[in-house]
Amino acid sequence: MKPLTIAAYNLKRLFRDRSNIFFVIILPLVLIMLLGSVFGGTFTPEVAVYDASEDERSRRVVDALEQVSDVDIRLTDSEDDVVDAVSGGRAQAGLVIPADFSAQIDQGSAVTVRYFGRLDTLAPQLQSAVNAVIARESAVIRAARFANSETGVSLDQATSQAQSALDELPAMTVALSIVGDDLVPDAEGFDSSAASQLLLFVFLTSLTGSVALIETRNLGLSRRMLSTPTSARTVLLGEALGRYAIGLMQGLIIMGGSALLFGVGWGSPGAATLIMVLFALVGAGAGMLVGSLLANEQQALAIGLLLGLGGAALGGSMVPLEIFPDTLRTIAHIMPHAWGNDAFATLLQDGGGIADIGTELGILAAYAAGLLLISSYIFRRQITSG
Amino acid sequence: MTATTPDQSAAPATSALRCEGLSKSFGDLQAVKNVSFHIERGETYGLLGPNGAGKTTTISMVCGVLARDEGEVLVDGQSMSSGSVDVKSLIGYVPQDLAIYPDLTASENMRFFARLYGLSRNDANSRIDEVLDTIGLSDRAGDLVKTYSGGMKRRLNIGLGMLHRPKLLILDEPTVGVDPQSRNAILENVDQLSGEGMAVLYTTHYMEEAERLCDRVGIIDEGELKAEGTRRELVSLVGEHDRIQIEGAGDLEAGVAAVRDLPAVREASVAGQVISLIVNEARNTLPELLSTITGTGVQVRSIDVAEPDLEAVFLHLTGKALRD
Ligand SMILES: Nc1ncnc2c1ncn2[C@@H]1O[C@H](COP(=O)(O)OP(=O)(O)OP(=O)(O)O)[C@@H](O)[C@H]1O
Ligand SMILES: [Mg+2]
Repeated sequence: MKPLTIAAYNLKRLFRDRSNIFFVIILPLVLIMLLGSVFGGTFTPEVAVYDASEDERSRRVVDALEQVSDVDIRLTDSEDDVVDAVSGGRAQAGLVIPADFSAQIDQGSAVTVRYFGRLDTLAPQLQSAVNAVIARESAVIRAARFANSETGVSLDQATSQAQSALDELPAMTVALSIVGDDLVPDAEGFDSSAASQLLLFVFLTSLTGSVALIETRNLGLSRRMLSTPTSARTVLLGEALGRYAIGLMQGLIIMGGSALLFGVGWGSPGAATLIMVLFALVGAGAGMLVGSLLANEQQALAIGLLLGLGGAALGGSMVPLEIFPDTLRTIAHIMPHAWGNDAFATLLQDGGGIADIGTELGILAAYAAGLLLISSYIFRRQITSG
Repeated sequence: MTATTPDQSAAPATSALRCEGLSKSFGDLQAVKNVSFHIERGETYGLLGPNGAGKTTTISMVCGVLARDEGEVLVDGQSMSSGSVDVKSLIGYVPQDLAIYPDLTASENMRFFARLYGLSRNDANSRIDEVLDTIGLSDRAGDLVKTYSGGMKRRLNIGLGMLHRPKLLILDEPTVGVDPQSRNAILENVDQLSGEGMAVLYTTHYMEEAERLCDRVGIIDEGELKAEGTRRELVSLVGEHDRIQIEGAGDLEAGVAAVRDLPAVREASVAGQVISLIVNEARNTLPELLSTITGTGVQVRSIDVAEPDLEAVFLHLTGKALRD
């Protein structure tokens, strides 16, 4: 297993420099703290709520919101107060229940509750709380109507009919408003944001394999390796594997650490790990391509950053793909990040498992294989052409 | 590797290395032009040429680390190219520039390359000890290479190429920048290996090394192999005259006067106790010279015959000095 030998010596050399141990271990720990405080959070976010309708139903909505764990609900007297509280930073999010809330439910039309976000990650939690109330209210209304119009129907049947009526619930939308400049609404959910951060980081780390490849080449060792019965592909795979292992290890530390310490959720653990494993391999492949194309380590580092950060931005790891215009979202899927984010979205929003992200995993695997093949071809040509 | 019985067999033995018509250009520069040569088992072949002659380029094509434009390379009868893998286990390549990990120890460097050469763990361990001993690094084997002196690094650089007992050891100017003591150690290593039946391809721009080490020498300049052969064969190309110095006692003037008229003698002179002669083909004329001189009553104490050296051959072939 020559690739493993090459990878092992790559790591041996990396860790011989003690300061690298620091970076390899400390960096992910720092990221855990960041992810934890932003996406897990030990503080309790405050949500300012203005109930314009002030009837029984809207009060039930407020009650339901208060049931949402880890959120403090503060009632205000006007919509302006909500906006002030959010933009002033006193509240992390705000909700306005409209005056005609009950009327909208009675008419069976779509109900609009306005959401203001500073901590965009709260939206889904609040949304589901409001949804639950509306669903219950609507169900009761339907059941009552059936009872009135079709007297003589048994209570059981009325209940079951009411149950089936649940399917025809009025659609609930939480309209999103932006308050202040830096507030980016995000309906995607906090765990996916943590996932996006993880993808960005793991990709960036795996990319540093380029530096290893260039170093080996500049020391004349790649040439020497090619003079032994070892193919260019094996050499390249070995160098890629070394740094890939580090990206992978850091990714696992981050996933495990943030889940244990801060309760950041990653969906199905097996599927989430698989996404990361493949995605890091894509990063390593990209690193090999950069490493075989560029001459020195500084260039590689610059391009690596550009690719790591730019790729993450385009691929929806900074701003969620959901709010991309359609065309841009299509273009975004040039980047492997987009597929990784899609896969995580399936896990986290739809509660999917490995079977549901087959396409994304397949595409990531193809990316990795393609990048490694192309770069080993370029690498061999580069070395053997003088 | 398949073991084959060496030369004596009736079947024509495959050469350890056979190069035919090797050519390589870098852009407009033709670095190697139609170079052909071969090396037999147990033979040490030197490529002698000045900086930029094309030695490294030639060697790199032989090792399959550089793609050639034209020509063919057969190592032990098997075709070698930049895409080859298996045939590379037959060669040991020692690059001109150090190619070792400075942040690993000598042992670690060796273990790494032993794996790449496909040695088993046990085989590797015993070979590493042997080679460390050969290159005289046993007591520093556990130190990081970056703490080594230049000569020690050179020796390790060489050691890495012989771990797997290659059939053909290829050394590209292994002694450059090495003190005389290390250089001697290196040359002795190479001598010993070729004594064990390994073929050696050795490049150098040191005439003395080529003369001392190599059974045959190829003289290369500006990418062309100008001539090749044993030292004697090369020197005979020059057709230059030998210098004979005879130290003696008695009437040296009379001795000189007697030999001056011999047809092979071009010049004769006396300085102190030494008669200096320039002659054609010293080998053939020496007996006659000596009997003529002793015939005049001169007692001969010592004789020194200096043949033209490879330096002179190079001068003769290229019209320029090997070293400026
Ligand atoms: N990768 C390359 N790109 C361009 N030119 C090259 C390359 N490698 C070698 N050359 C040129 O080819 C010629 C032969 O170089 P080579 O290294 O083979 O010489 P050499 O005989 O090994 O010299 P030295 O004794 O200095 O090592 C030189 O003119 C050199 O500049
Ligand atoms: Mg050279």
